[in-house]
Amino acid sequence: MKLVGRVPVEPLDEERMTQIERRVVSGAADASAVAQPMRVSRGFTGVALAAMTAVAAAVIGWKLGSRPAPVVVGASTPVRIHTEAQRSTLDIGDATIESDPATVFVVTRPAGGVLVEMTRGKVELEVGKRGDRAPLVVRAGDTDVIVVGTHFTVDYGDGTGDVEVRVTEGVVKVVRTQHEVRVAAGQAWQTRRGVLARAEARTADGLSGPGPSGSGTTTTATSTTGVTDTAEGSTQVVASTDPVRAGSGFEVDLLHGRTSLVPDKRVAGNTTTVVASTGTTATTQPGTGGSGASTTRGDGTGAAAGTGSGARPAPRPVEDPSDPMRDLKKLVRSQPLEPALDVGESSAASAISAYYTIIRDPEKRGADESRAYYSIAVTQLKAERTGDALSTLERYFRRFSREVYPERTPALWLRVRILCTRSIDDVCRQAAYKYAHEAPGTPAAAVAERITLTD
Amino acid sequence: MTAAAYVEDVLLVDRCLTGEPAATRELFRRHRSRVHACLFRVLGTNRDMDDLLQEAFLQVFQSLRGWRAEASLATWVDRVSVRVAYRYLSQRGRRVQTEVLVDDEAGPAIEAGPGARRQLARDGVKRLYAVLDELSPAARLAFTLHEIDGRTLAETAQLVGSSVTATKLRVWRARKKIETAAAADPVLSEFLEPSGAAVIPFDDSSKEAP
Repeated sequence: MKLVGRVPVEPLDEERMTQIERRVVSGAADASAVAQPMRVSRGFTGVALAAMTAVAAAVIGWKLGSRPAPVVVGASTPVRIHTEAQRSTLDIGDATIESDPATVFVVTRPAGGVLVEMTRGKVELEVGKRGDRAPLVVRAGDTDVIVVGTHFTVDYGDGTGDVEVRVTEGVVKVVRTQHEVRVAAGQAWQTRRGVLARAEARTADGLSGPGPSGSGTTTTATSTTGVTDTAEGSTQVVASTDPVRAGSGFEVDLLHGRTSLVPDKRVAGNTTTVVASTGTTATTQPGTGGSGASTTRGDGTGAAAGTGSGARPAPRPVEDPSDPMRDLKKLVRSQPLEPALDVGESSAASAISAYYTIIRDPEKRGADESRAYYSIAVTQLKAERTGDALSTLERYFRRFSREVYPERTPALWLRVRILCTRSIDDVCRQAAYKYAHEAPGTPAAAVAERITLTD
Repeated sequence: MTAAAYVEDVLLVDRCLTGEPAATRELFRRHRSRVHACLFRVLGTNRDMDDLLQEAFLQVFQSLRGWRAEASLATWVDRVSVRVAYRYLSQRGRRVQTEVLVDDEAGPAIEAGPGARRQLARDGVKRLYAVLDELSPAARLAFTLHEIDGRTLAETAQLVGSSVTATKLRVWRARKKIETAAAADPVLSEFLEPSGAAVIPFDDSSKEAP
């Protein structure tokens, strides 16, 4: 029974094949556009429609009782939110908006983006990576907060005064009167003051300074640095008395509990580290060289709090202040790279082939595979194939999304190096933030943190 | 598969994952002929082929993120396609209409010569697939992939997600069933053994990879 090659395949005519191709390409695009971690069954459509109808009914007002389940907004219809007694949560799919009591805002989706227009109150947003999608913008009066990163709050008070933006994770852009400012994790921005450095302290005994983890109260403090209405060199620290900010309702997971350091290039010499204790109001005076600060607690007892640049390695000095990007790129390039695995091949192509042989070897899963992937990326970078190197790194992070091997940190830095030597842009800053977050305390992390603070 | 081709696959998949339509089109064009041939040999007809091809490739693109580059992309695409074929066969209650294999316009084989032999071959194929219609989807897949599509038992087992032993058993049972049918059908018998060759025993490992 020899049948191979004896059943002729009837070809499909080109027109049929073209139609199939068109449907497949279109379907693949749709699939990638709606790619979500959970598949929604067809039966869910009716439920979704019902939910959308319910949301439309909420346009005239949104009154929540004792913290019910989040309202889900998936429609493109504008939704007006008005919270009265309790904090409330609004899930719009690609972001979650928590609002304080007496907050009023309208959510619309212009051109695929999200616009949150505040009338008054305070919102806290957690936003997923937006990738190529149009940005999420929070508009409070004449101030636009454009989301680049992930977690922040916008406080518009009674809707007539100042706006305050606090970023706990990622980066946002604040645009007001045609001026754009970047506010990164650990920073705040206020209408009258501009960008503020913010620090946290966990105190167990009332004294300031980083205490044992999990003990004491988390307090958020703000420190003006380089603001327009503050004298050069002077620093003011205000520990918030707002229960939402100063209590358990406002957790700051900043730099893994280390003291924050926010250099401000606009005020020479004003590099201030601030640690605030639990209390009401505190003020600081810069120490010599502007590297120290002290806090005064509300009960009148003073406590030394300034740690200056000793809390972590200071960023390297900027050689040419007029061209910070060039110097920063140079700084990025000067950081050592973890070398590629030596497979005894002189040419990049041969070496990459050897690395892929390792990857395909079922006996060499895990650590060897991780090393091989990283080595491919390094080799591609050395061969000036930066696009391929980035693709390889993305594949590495996907492949080892659950397993952590020693190459993860070098791979994160390699991504920073490739992206940030090209351009110090949002993508570079996000990569730098990721690196600084995962590999704190290293010289490269200090460079990465500097990148996140660039405008 | 060469390392270069492998790298090419990896880069193409990366481009597809970014949603680049040109990459999607390229991947489809690279694999469409092979997938179509494979599905045709399993089913014996182009009926519903448009839907099957579309379904197979849509599943490929939907689960592309899950390709871990352990197997070649072609093998992985084939595996997805075989799953689609299996589901189709299961839903159709094992029966696949194979009438389209007969070229009605050609008319019956009344003349002698090459035309008659072609008609005999067409009839033989039609009768073969009529017997295959009686097999379970798993047995049909194992038999067609191994005996008609020419894949090794190991490869076939990998595609259908079974052990080599189970696959070999399914192929053997399918052969026995076809031989039984051929014993009562001279057209099928002539198609299967035109030279009167002996029946290949179950323990045939001639197609195994070295």
